[in-house]
Amino acid sequence: MLVILVPVIFGLMGFALDLGRLYLVRAELKTAANSMALAAATRLIGTDASTDAATTAGAQTIETATGFGNKYDFGGSTVGQTNGSLNSEVQSPTFFGAAADALGSGGGETSGSLAKYVRVTITGEAGLTFWRFLPLASAGKVNVIATAVAGVSAPLCQACSIEPLGVAALDATDGINFGFLPGTKYTLGYVCNGVNPNGPLPNTVGRLPYLILNHLDSNATVFPAEASQLLRIGVNGLLPSTDQTVACSRVGNTEQLWATATTANCTPGILSGAVTAMLCGIGLRFDSTPQGTCAGLADLDTIASLYPPDTTTDDFDDYASYTGTGRRVITIPIVDVLNASADMTVLGFRQFLLLPNSGAATINVADSNGRFAAMYVGSVKPLRQGSMSGCTQSAGPGKVVLHQ
Amino acid sequence: MYMPVLILLFVGMVEIARITYTYYAIQRILTGLARYVGTQQAVNFCDDNDASVVAAKSFALTGTPGGDASASGPLIVRGLTADLIRVRLERYDVNSQTLVECDCSETGCDASVGGTAPDFIVVYLPNGYTVRPAIPGVAVDPFPLRPRVRVPYGGT
Repeated sequence: MLVILVPVIFGLMGFALDLGRLYLVRAELKTAANSMALAAATRLIGTDASTDAATTAGAQTIETATGFGNKYDFGGSTVGQTNGSLNSEVQSPTFFGAAADALGSGGGETSGSLAKYVRVTITGEAGLTFWRFLPLASAGKVNVIATAVAGVSAPLCQACSIEPLGVAALDATDGINFGFLPGTKYTLGYVCNGVNPNGPLPNTVGRLPYLILNHLDSNATVFPAEASQLLRIGVNGLLPSTDQTVACSRVGNTEQLWATATTANCTPGILSGAVTAMLCGIGLRFDSTPQGTCAGLADLDTIASLYPPDTTTDDFDDYASYTGTGRRVITIPIVDVLNASADMTVLGFRQFLLLPNSGAATINVADSNGRFAAMYVGSVKPLRQGSMSGCTQSAGPGKVVLHQ
Repeated sequence: MYMPVLILLFVGMVEIARITYTYYAIQRILTGLARYVGTQQAVNFCDDNDASVVAAKSFALTGTPGGDASASGPLIVRGLTADLIRVRLERYDVNSQTLVECDCSETGCDASVGGTAPDFIVVYLPNGYTVRPAIPGVAVDPFPLRPRVRVPYGGT
């Protein structure tokens, strides 16, 4: 009788304890995999170097030097390492250009510049307390596998933390690129009145006029001065705010000119202080030392110290070879028509890579027409915040979401 | 003769299962909290009364953003209140190439004075959630459960 009862009792107790432990281990590994995938996917910015950066970022979620990395098995076992008798392994992340491939069982892996999705698989052994006495689980442990897929979402209808430099579509019927040519270097220049004697900058093919769109935070308590706000927007995009009209721009909504960023005559081309402040912020993406023209801007040195510049100031002819962190990639609203005195309707959002002036390591914030060079790159970098609801977009930047 | 042993085994099994489930529930709560608060805008983690942080804790602990996350509220795990939870802010330090805690300062992550967003957040229980197995005739000291979750910060 006892011979029969003992395996039955141990089997039942295993259901209560070992199965519960397996569920717990699976949940912990799934959390670790999700975090790794999300961290990795944010670094996928369409460059050859992005997959290496993504792999590094993913690994940071389970690092143990600080003692706060994700662990498993009641938080006692390190993910990706051997802990006594239990082993865990983190497979190298795999990258895909399409969500269907990332969610599929095999194939479709791609290189860095095409990668938009990442799949992370973590294996961890879980110990068995009672089932180890049964022949089927005599090893005393079992492998638990967790997989996560993260990548870019559908195009965003509302984009936050972007750069509010309104540029008119070259072809509003082109839902993919709005008439801009990917990989082409343009000169962005501030709208001015009259005949513009200044053509495009060297090594660029044409001039794209822009206006600064109004996202002034009149309730700001941190660096509230208008110039400070423009400086911060220039260096890091729209300011964080719970007011969506301040922090974000939305497709289909109308935008107006930033009130003090007025246009001037093209000759002699004296920019308003607001435009200069914005350009000073953009310049800080290349070099944290402000240019002389920026002297006197409120909170300049403090703000300059808060935002790290990109890791490279090089010019690039091919975006895929860009080796920076993405700090020089700006996301701007594409509007139907530029108009300094009327509403402008946002058609979508597209991205440009800021380029240094020819022979220099940064832009010239003192340019009399607010010109700087930028390469059109389409929609390569995921945004930090935004919403997908409320419009239909065939292309555009998304944000990082979990797909599995 | 075997009954006391069987009862002890049964009660012990129930207690271990209860603790396992409690740990599982807390781990899921912290995960939900981390993802919720980690995707908000204009969060000031240095202010315990920040609306987004309070809402995130209420949502995770009670199931509703406006829920009472104190001891008298409808808590998912009894005794797991908002004051037990801490959000640690981390930033990648390019010099040491490690994650370091982002302090509440202007050059750190204090948004109220101009600090910028962290790279990662860790949601954890500094003092743990104390459980005491209740097994008749056996004295077991209470011990803390210490789940934690690190996620990349995706807010602004």
